[in-house]
Amino acid sequence: MTLFPQILRKCLLACALFIPTQLLHAASIDDSWEDVLEEAKGQTVYFNAWGGSDRINAYLEWVGKRLESEYGVTLNHVKIGDIAEVVGQLEAAKAVGRDTDGNVDLMWVNGENFAALKRNKLLFGSFANVLPNTAFVKQAPSVTHDFSVPVEGLESPWGGAQLVFIYDSANTKTPPQSATELLSFIKEGGRFSYPAPPAFHGTTMIKQLLSELTEDAAALAKPVEEADFDAVTKPLWAYLDEMNPLLWGKGKSWSTSGEHTRQLLDDGEVDIAISFNPNEATAAVKSGQLADTVRTYAFSEGTIGNTHFVTIPYNAKASAGAMVAANFLVSPEAQARKADPEYWGDPTVLDIDAVPEDMRAKFTDIDLGVWALPLGSGKTLSEPHASWAQALEAAWIERYGQ
Amino acid sequence: MPHSVSNGRGLPLLAAIAVALLFSAPLLIGLGGTMAPAFGFMPELAPGNGFAQLLDDPRFIPALKLTIKTGTIATLLVLLLTILALVCLNRTRWWRWMLAALPPLLAIPHAAFAVGLVFLVAPSGWIVRLFSPWLTSWERPPADWVVPDAGGWSLIAGLVMKEAPFLLLAAAAQLPRLNVDALLKIGLTLGYSPARCWSRLILPSLYPRIRLTLFVILAFNLSVVDMALLLGPGNPPTLSVLLLSYVNEPGFRAAASAGALILAVGMAIFFFAVMLVERFIAIVANRRRESGHRGHGSGLFRQVGKYSVVAITLCSVLTLIALLLWSFTQRWRFPSALPDSWTMRHWLGRSDLLLDPLWATTLFATFCCIATLIAAVVWLEAERLGAVKKIDWLWYVPLFIPQITLLFGWQAASLITATDGLWLTVAYAHWVYTLPYVVLILAVAWRELDPNWNNAASVLGAGYWKVLFRIRLPLLIKPVLQAMAVAVAVSVAQYLPTALLGAGRHNTLAIEVVTSFGGVDRRVIATLAVLQSLLPLIVFSLALLIPAVIQKKQQQHS
Repeated sequence: MTLFPQILRKCLLACALFIPTQLLHAASIDDSWEDVLEEAKGQTVYFNAWGGSDRINAYLEWVGKRLESEYGVTLNHVKIGDIAEVVGQLEAAKAVGRDTDGNVDLMWVNGENFAALKRNKLLFGSFANVLPNTAFVKQAPSVTHDFSVPVEGLESPWGGAQLVFIYDSANTKTPPQSATELLSFIKEGGRFSYPAPPAFHGTTMIKQLLSELTEDAAALAKPVEEADFDAVTKPLWAYLDEMNPLLWGKGKSWSTSGEHTRQLLDDGEVDIAISFNPNEATAAVKSGQLADTVRTYAFSEGTIGNTHFVTIPYNAKASAGAMVAANFLVSPEAQARKADPEYWGDPTVLDIDAVPEDMRAKFTDIDLGVWALPLGSGKTLSEPHASWAQALEAAWIERYGQ
Repeated sequence: MPHSVSNGRGLPLLAAIAVALLFSAPLLIGLGGTMAPAFGFMPELAPGNGFAQLLDDPRFIPALKLTIKTGTIATLLVLLLTILALVCLNRTRWWRWMLAALPPLLAIPHAAFAVGLVFLVAPSGWIVRLFSPWLTSWERPPADWVVPDAGGWSLIAGLVMKEAPFLLLAAAAQLPRLNVDALLKIGLTLGYSPARCWSRLILPSLYPRIRLTLFVILAFNLSVVDMALLLGPGNPPTLSVLLLSYVNEPGFRAAASAGALILAVGMAIFFFAVMLVERFIAIVANRRRESGHRGHGSGLFRQVGKYSVVAITLCSVLTLIALLLWSFTQRWRFPSALPDSWTMRHWLGRSDLLLDPLWATTLFATFCCIATLIAAVVWLEAERLGAVKKIDWLWYVPLFIPQITLLFGWQAASLITATDGLWLTVAYAHWVYTLPYVVLILAVAWRELDPNWNNAASVLGAGYWKVLFRIRLPLLIKPVLQAMAVAVAVSVAQYLPTALLGAGRHNTLAIEVVTSFGGVDRRVIATLAVLQSLLPLIVFSLALLIPAVIQKKQQQHS
């Protein structure tokens, strides 16, 4: 007897330990909430969520700790760059018949990605309707319809977002208030960059410009197939043809994300940064990433806003745990912390008047700071129909992305 | 009976075959898993005609052109810089200093280096800050260039600065074998200028010895992913980056696989073309050598060469210092030459942010370090005992096939077998990409070790295992430790295997650095990058220190 066969055998044994052996019983939406809680105990929930912000990552660490101590659920944040990748993975999983025991239990999603999941039947079900904390949610239009697509409880709202601009008041006295003013600002030497679509800040900026420039704004609320795409978008391309060569990178290099434009603002390489979070500047000033002379604003006629959600894929392994996590994410406790720029500063989806009285102060006491978008100052415009995003991205790439 | 092992060849043969199979199986599966979807044999996973999809994408041709441009120019510059360093720096007082700077530069992971380079050369980067506004009169960063630039020059710069040390070190290791000093003396006596001595006498015999390394570098430059994500242009990106975005896009796997095949085949054609060019140069060089022209030594040329090499090395060092500074920065606004305020917060405040990826990275690196060493020793012992033949080409295979070409297929296979996301799958991929370096480094020393040591020990009655563990390995402690350090460095730098096979569940430092770039707080990324660079630096220092300490102890004993 020599050492090698023994070592080999041990290696094989070790390998076997890594291979999952049993399928977990999946929860059903018809189960009572007590059953869901019971079943969730001990489960590990893989939460696929954009991982590009260390503050959001830190917030999710906190959520994980709370879920562990309160419900015995382990939350594992799978950091991804673009949720569309996960939609692709789910389609691939469905294609090869991996209908149970999937890799993703919970995912952060909205808009065209939700529309794709719903269209391809990759969703778990109307779980949001049975979450106890859904009772506190404010049933705003953007909560019941995600980019004009009916939500029907297939995803649970998590936070609000609005396109805003951050500038340094020490350098820029009068920031542009509309698409037209933005172009003149850039022509007069103002420095600006929008991320290249399909980076979502870039896509949102394009949608914002389109909604201001098009002569047929009504077409945007309907699926893109029903519109004359070329006619509706013609003014947009004329505008971008003029603007792109004057941007940071001269229309050849592009910033990669809203956060990138914020970094460029602090470096002095651009004058205006793009954000989808009205309170981001406050958080950035407090952590030393922006000067305390920065201010946030929205265009005077309003900017695009939406709601972002979490949802459970059809083949989730720990669906009960995912439901418990989704429920905690819309709890007053989690929402109040999320709304505080100290931690994240993401606007709540809850109706403050509906939450228990002892929790209301947690929301009303939040100090947003002078750096954030002043409350009530920016009108919110609704998103175009979900189908527009992809069509606009493809058209943009064809024109400017090569 | 342990003694029977040294006589028999059965067990070493079996073990060596196991190593070779473990190593080549994923290569075959990977190639198969990339070819099948490309040619439409996996309609569920990869519907559609991949090649047609690819040609339909207006970005494909520009991406291909960009890849050829950056890969070729970067490799040529690496070669040029190496030759310049050899001709202009060798036998000067800079040479030792240069050789000392190379291994640490080589050990820095590509991603970390790329992050630092952006901090250095951006319009608001450190170099401009150092000279503004007192020299440049720039109160604001200039708007004349951006990083990354659309032409791919940032990427080229990053590749050159990272790969030139690799080639120079390989060349420097060959110099003693070529008897350079003697050749130079002969050449000078015959009236050749020093540069001509190099080009006519030394380079022709040096080049064949570093050619394989140069080809590895060319293959790397044409297919690199992590550096291209950080330093390369975005619209269009390089081919590998474009293909990586396909894999994640619904319905584009066929196109991704087709593109990965095109990249691999294109690379083979490229190698062939390079070989033709080599022939041509050899013919021209022979003619010129026969002409016997002595030429005038150009002192100016040597000076320019010397200072450009030194300047580039200095830039690499500055890159690392820039990273270090940012990791301790609270505020650092343009045009301050140094941070305006400092903090320890990024290192101490958010330990989870650093410790989790550090732990994930360390586990893979430790596994690689041990598992590749075992595999390499198994193979080399079998080779020494005559159980298997030398097949060094096999170990080069994963270095010459683009990572995406192998890994797309491996990922497809892991999806089907539901092994994606498992720790062992990712560790396996790290092992495959680390083993070549470990085997090739160890092989040199293993084959050169005087067999008399073995024979003497055996005569004295020591069994096989005793000889291996008490004689061979201790005698070879230096190369063994070096190989282990390289294993750690290679594993720590792996981005693509972890990204594609890990299903996002194994957030190593490489993953964190690449995915956080552009989004996360610059100071946090700098901290992650410093941490990622520290790991290989520490193990390389240990690999140097441990043998020295052991030697000292032995001297004290005797």
